[in-house]
Amino acid sequence: MIDNFNRFVIPNLDLLAHGLWVTVRICAVAFAMAVAMGAAACVIRLYVPGVRYLAIGYIEFSRATPIIVQLLWVNYVWPELFGFPQSVEWAGIIALAIQSSGYLAETFRSGIEGLPRGQIEASMAVGMSRSRTFRRIVAPQVLLVMAPSIVNQLAVVVKASTLVSVIAIPDLMYDALKIVNQWFEPIEVLTSVAVIYILTIFSLSAIAKRIADYFREKYGLAAYA
Amino acid sequence: MSETLRQSLDLSLFWEYRYTVLAGLAQNIYVFLASAALALTLALFVGLSRVSRHRALRILSTGYAELFRNTPEFVLLIWVYYVLPILISKLLAAKFSLSPFLAAVLALGVAYSGFLSETVRAGIQSIPRGHVEAGLSLGMSRFTILRRIVIPQAIRRMLPEALSQFVSLFKATSIVSLVAVPDIMYQVSMINVDQMRPLPLYTGAALLFCLVIIAATQSINILSDRWRKRGWA
Amino acid sequence: MIAPTLSPASTGGPILRCSNVRKSFGANEVLRGISFEIPAGSVLTIIGASGSGKSTLLRCLNHLEQPTSGEVYLDGEPMGVRIKPNGTRVPDKAANIARKRAQIGMVFQQFNLWPHMTALQNVTEALIQVKGLDRAKAADLGRNTLAKVNLLEKADDYPARLSGGQQQRVAIARALAMAPKVMLFDEATSSLDPELTGEVLEVMRQLAQEGMTMVVVTHEMGFAREVSDRVIFLHEGQIDQDGTPEEVFVKPTSERCRRFLSSALS
Repeated sequence: MIDNFNRFVIPNLDLLAHGLWVTVRICAVAFAMAVAMGAAACVIRLYVPGVRYLAIGYIEFSRATPIIVQLLWVNYVWPELFGFPQSVEWAGIIALAIQSSGYLAETFRSGIEGLPRGQIEASMAVGMSRSRTFRRIVAPQVLLVMAPSIVNQLAVVVKASTLVSVIAIPDLMYDALKIVNQWFEPIEVLTSVAVIYILTIFSLSAIAKRIADYFREKYGLAAYA
Repeated sequence: MSETLRQSLDLSLFWEYRYTVLAGLAQNIYVFLASAALALTLALFVGLSRVSRHRALRILSTGYAELFRNTPEFVLLIWVYYVLPILISKLLAAKFSLSPFLAAVLALGVAYSGFLSETVRAGIQSIPRGHVEAGLSLGMSRFTILRRIVIPQAIRRMLPEALSQFVSLFKATSIVSLVAVPDIMYQVSMINVDQMRPLPLYTGAALLFCLVIIAATQSINILSDRWRKRGWA
Repeated sequence: MIAPTLSPASTGGPILRCSNVRKSFGANEVLRGISFEIPAGSVLTIIGASGSGKSTLLRCLNHLEQPTSGEVYLDGEPMGVRIKPNGTRVPDKAANIARKRAQIGMVFQQFNLWPHMTALQNVTEALIQVKGLDRAKAADLGRNTLAKVNLLEKADDYPARLSGGQQQRVAIARALAMAPKVMLFDEATSSLDPELTGEVLEVMRQLAQEGMTMVVVTHEMGFAREVSDRVIFLHEGQIDQDGTPEEVFVKPTSERCRRFLSSALS
């Protein structure tokens, strides 16, 4: 087994490292987009009466379709429908971002709706406007309270990203499967890759937990959703 | 453009293949039911072990839950499908293989038992210590207290959360196509190879999933509202 | 309903005046026509059983609740409504309501400190954001105000690290730093442990002595009697007894007020 490890994993470290880099890149961009899109969807749902049903529809759709369906849909259907994305990598990023933005929008919403009413009254009582109250009092607290959930969502993105290999994005999983198909010796490569993923996701979950503990200690905030 | 658009938006192709797609959906449902049963059984044992008085049991079960909660389902599925049979063959010194269906059920069942065990643990720990003490003071055995007082209350508390885990599990069944279980996505991809019309096919598949999942979550919401009104959950 | 006459702001007039204020939540009428005036530098205390409408009245004064009818005047200007040249009344712009609220300090039962800001930041936030002070000036003023409530050494602590009494004193400093024309106290000590109410009442007493105009809703009858210039007993949304502390506490004419006091003091 050590022998196989030396034969199949060590010589392919470069390939696997590159795959890991692709995974990191895709997850980072997709997550950043998901936070922005989720915040936008949430704000529209709560504060823009005219188009809030569009936001609700978007959120429900993104949460109700499995990630692999969205991957294939964005990859095969969007270019025909909208003329983009032009690369599989962008298709993967967009699909991951859509998926997570729905969850993040709901996370933000429960954060805003769970904020004690007195917080907003206190800022109105000192004469702050609605938009200033949102920017200075509501949004920062929602971000703090929801920070653990937000980091957890990054862990979910990493998990889901294992599927982008399906549309031939050369991520960590794709490279691992490539090596397996070359030599038909799956044990060492697949186990190593599984360990990498588990450690990454475990660290993210641990960070989320640490953040939650730290904020509870410092600000007396406990996630209420 | 408008002609291609109209043509590609035409979902009738999806309708033509409705029986194939429905056969795929049936596969999703089979995988779902089998892996849900497996996940629930494992989760009950693991969840109970996590609140056990025995330290070793607590550590083991916590490790199990942490491991599988942090493993991507697809990685687990591939590992179970490719690696596990080889390991077992070596162990038994005999040829052993797993059908795609069994591998899918095993991987998804184990993965979701991790999440569910967390729900079970939280449900049990949400029961106030005083309820246990009341039982003890009446001379009940620990097992009786667990069976008659803790578990009935815990089940009500964890039901809404557990049901939403099952919805996630159903969504996750869409990945079994990748080990060639002939589910919806597998059928759709096969039809697409034949017809080269991805737009109606994948859009149809997305809408179908959307429909099933939203119907499921809506009925769960209605049910848990009803339970809450009765003072259950 | 009597249409109140609108007098321009006159020096020496009441800081706050409310005229036939009514408030309903659905079919439930919580305030049934309240009128009173608060001269500058005086302390008005509102007492009454829970559910009598005390807090709602206080919240109507700075338009956290919008009165169903009736008017509140701050320094002679109506709150929350604008009078058009032809005499019709229209709801005022949010910015104008906010500007007036900034002149009315409010202290809440639940403190409502912002947990993501330090004590000092809680005090300086509105100074910077609403009054437009620069940071250095706001910080100076903030520290001075915190010193006034004896909490200078806690300036950089987050609310989670402060006791209830300290949190409430920061909340008072937050309102006070805005140099309000009047301060509203909504059961400021009700959610504090008994041993912590003293430090908050002490700060309020000191403010009253310095001539701050105050409207106080409280269950602390001893404090009310000692500090108030005028006491109002509210019953089911109406003023049931109204007078000096002497008149209300020693020889109340209303039977209901007498019963309330005997149960509150026992």
